[in-house]
Amino acid sequence: MNENDKLNILKDILLTDDREYAESIVKRMETLENLVHTRSKLSDKVDPIIDHKLDEFIHEIPRTLGPTITETLKTEIKNSKDQVVEALYPIMGKMIKKYVWQEIKLLSERVSKQVEDSFSAKSWKRRVKSWFTGVKEHDLILSELGNATIEQVFVIEKNSGILLGNYSKTETIDKEMFSGMLTAIKSFVEDAFQQKGQNLELIEYELYNIHIQSFVSYYIAVVISGQYTTPIKNKLQDIIFNFSQNFLSLVIYNPDITKNDIVNELNYYFNNDRI
Amino acid sequence: MTASKKIVLLGHFGVGKTSLVRRFVEDTFSDNYKVTIGVHILKKEVKLPENQINLIIWDIEGSEDITRTRSSYLLGSHGFIYVFDTTRKSTYENLAADLEHIRSNYNDVPVLVVGNKSDLVTRAHLRENKQHFSLAQYFSSAKTGENVETLFEDLTKKLIE
Repeated sequence: MNENDKLNILKDILLTDDREYAESIVKRMETLENLVHTRSKLSDKVDPIIDHKLDEFIHEIPRTLGPTITETLKTEIKNSKDQVVEALYPIMGKMIKKYVWQEIKLLSERVSKQVEDSFSAKSWKRRVKSWFTGVKEHDLILSELGNATIEQVFVIEKNSGILLGNYSKTETIDKEMFSGMLTAIKSFVEDAFQQKGQNLELIEYELYNIHIQSFVSYYIAVVISGQYTTPIKNKLQDIIFNFSQNFLSLVIYNPDITKNDIVNELNYYFNNDRI
Repeated sequence: MTASKKIVLLGHFGVGKTSLVRRFVEDTFSDNYKVTIGVHILKKEVKLPENQINLIIWDIEGSEDITRTRSSYLLGSHGFIYVFDTTRKSTYENLAADLEHIRSNYNDVPVLVVGNKSDLVTRAHLRENKQHFSLAQYFSSAKTGENVETLFEDLTKKLIE
């Protein structure tokens, strides 16, 4: 045994652990290499981490980037008003066009009606008014067109919400369901404020106002289009009170009053639908 | 003769009031439960040999305590349908007291008591709860349509008596 063999034996004895360790590292490296180079295996390991991080990122965006994005948008909108208008124009344009078209149609119908009535007493009255005041007749016609118009009238039993009778220029949704729902809304609002003896008096709905006049056992709801001003309200109340006075005496002297009787009465009082 | 009558459905949450009304008015049923908030009003014409009655049906939100039901919704009612769920004891264990409350506050108004979801219970279950169920005039199922038409028609007949 020469010196070299002895040295090898000594190496074997002293370095056994290190060699085993080195071999295990090699094995781990091979496994890792296999993992990195095999797409599906790598994906299995990495995807959950990325998903988690993405979720966190999405969750944090409003807090971290939100103010910055809002500020940037504000600045961009401020600096590029023309582009914003250009982008919104087609959408807004369509909406405005539809609205204007609808209004022109309504106006046209009203003007046609006024022209058709050109030999009526009302027309002569307007001409006289024009002659005395110096206001042109077509201006008077236009001012009349903005007047409040009674679209529908409902006489509704107060507690049950049952429709007793109605007057309507045009057919609309189910009148009886409308009466019930209006009564439910009225009861809800009146309950909510818990003020005894106070009644819901007005509901505004875009171009319409629903004027509500309460009596002891029934109430009257009048749907009005056009300007709803205090003088109009007063005038409308006068018509309602006149109707009500007559309606009450009708009910007292004729307890078997039918729906048709009430409708006839409504037609009599509200048929001249302009207030 | 044509007349309109207001009827109100009463009972706890989720007993099937809306489903009963839907089955009666639209002849439909859905398993999706959507809680009624406030009130939902529907109309159905019932034709009897000599009369036509427009039933204005107020399907109000359920309440576990009938004394807390919004009284303004009940005023002026011509008839009530009290609905309980045959599968949920909490909806019928106070039935007698609830009916007493309705009758004492709305003296002359007819009340029909209906045990709903009858398709989900066995005869044995009905026997076991006889004490409570004996107060019910009808057992209905909005799902199968069992007795739905009958109970509304019978109430309508009572309204014009």
